[in-house]
Amino acid sequence: MPAERSQKDVWRLAPWLMIVLLFGNFVMMAYDARAENQERMIRVWTQALARFIQSPVSYASSAVSGFYNSVAGMRTAQSENDILKQKIQELEIQVRDSREMSSEIERLRELLDLKDTSEFKVLPAQVIGRDASVWFDTAIINRGSIDGVRLNMPVVVNGGLVGRVTAVSPLTAQIDLITRDKSGLGAIVGEVGNSDAMGVVRGTGDSDVLEMKYVPGYIEVKQGDVIYTTGQDGIYPAGLRVGEIVEVSSGSATVPHQISVRPSAKIHGMQEVGVLLYTAPETPDFERSLPNALPEDQAPGN
Amino acid sequence: MAEQSNIKLTIALVIAIALQWTLRNVAEPLAYIDFPLIVVVYAALQRNSIRAIIFGTVAGVATDALSGGLLGANGFSKTLVAYIVSEIARRVYLDNLLLRIPVIAGACFLDDLIYYGMHNLLGQAIEGQMLVTMSYTLLATTIAGTLVYLVLDNLSAARIGGSRRKEMFGPRRQTRRRNPIRLGRK
Repeated sequence: MPAERSQKDVWRLAPWLMIVLLFGNFVMMAYDARAENQERMIRVWTQALARFIQSPVSYASSAVSGFYNSVAGMRTAQSENDILKQKIQELEIQVRDSREMSSEIERLRELLDLKDTSEFKVLPAQVIGRDASVWFDTAIINRGSIDGVRLNMPVVVNGGLVGRVTAVSPLTAQIDLITRDKSGLGAIVGEVGNSDAMGVVRGTGDSDVLEMKYVPGYIEVKQGDVIYTTGQDGIYPAGLRVGEIVEVSSGSATVPHQISVRPSAKIHGMQEVGVLLYTAPETPDFERSLPNALPEDQAPGN
Repeated sequence: MAEQSNIKLTIALVIAIALQWTLRNVAEPLAYIDFPLIVVVYAALQRNSIRAIIFGTVAGVATDALSGGLLGANGFSKTLVAYIVSEIARRVYLDNLLLRIPVIAGACFLDDLIYYGMHNLLGQAIEGQMLVTMSYTLLATTIAGTLVYLVLDNLSAARIGGSRRKEMFGPRRQTRRRNPIRLGRK
């Protein structure tokens, strides 16, 4: 039977142990900071391991939040009911119109001999956890490399873009949300081909607001305009809905607009998302030879 | 007895990490409560420095692995906090619940400061409102920590003897009424 350490031994050992552990943590941090885009084995396996604990906890917590949401929803049920009735009538008219249009499109397709080509499949996934640190904004889903999830795949919900995959374990994947302050994506006000108002949408750290930069000040943009992805950032495909403009601080001929954007996706409280099984096209050779090009293994397409 | 306590604290730590990871999806403000830190500080208050330090590192690295921040940043801050708190607990009497409130508040402030500082030091500056986030975290963690300690202390006090229980939840001191005759009123 091993002899128990005396209190004196513990006091003597503790500072040395602390120094060793602090050094270990510092080395890990420095290594992580050097190549931020690479995924870490420790992170990947902890997430995979945590899934087994997480699933029942997540199930219980979503049941609790679902109960409270349904209680809270009762208060606004009557007014929502009236609005919904009105919307149903409007939609019935729209459905009638769209039926006619779709049959027309079908006829034209047959005429032109076009095949139904869907660019990418959507893999449904469940959010099983959110960032454990209040300083960052990521989410963990219950789909991993076994299901075909790869790094940098876009993640969406019905309302729009949520983020991209930044770490993949066999059973789980980590998503960097678009609201995170370090995230960025190529975006356009309006649809590609119909607008020149291109810029970059960045997270602000605030979960309800994104900011759009570099939109030339001479192009007219207004509150309520919808923002889509351009597909030119090498990560996201074109045409994904990002959000809606809520505020514009107008620029001039030489100064770009400052645009605040509300994300289309309801990021808080999202339970289910879809992973687009989309791989960005490879970077052209001439771009790889540029001095600021990312190394081969860190390129978004890989 | 020590092994039992280790197992209980380990279970508490696992639950704390799971809660930290899950509760944010239930309600965003719950993210401000640092559950792993509460358990680490509680372990440090038991005056076993080595156990506290190991708990700090494990809790920190696990939190980092489930977060988008630098791997090891929480490990670093929580290890340091655990050591400092255990050293204070060794020198100062901290078994009273009221005395633990400033300890958890101070530990939370220090943890946030180190975490933020390490990210800045390594060129990974965290944008956003630092002071606001720190203030909310401090408030939420202190309140939640006090309640958690109350529960944990009650659980352990039910097991331990009455004298120690009295130490932790001491009754209000009754001042003795003086004899008016002795005060000079004749």
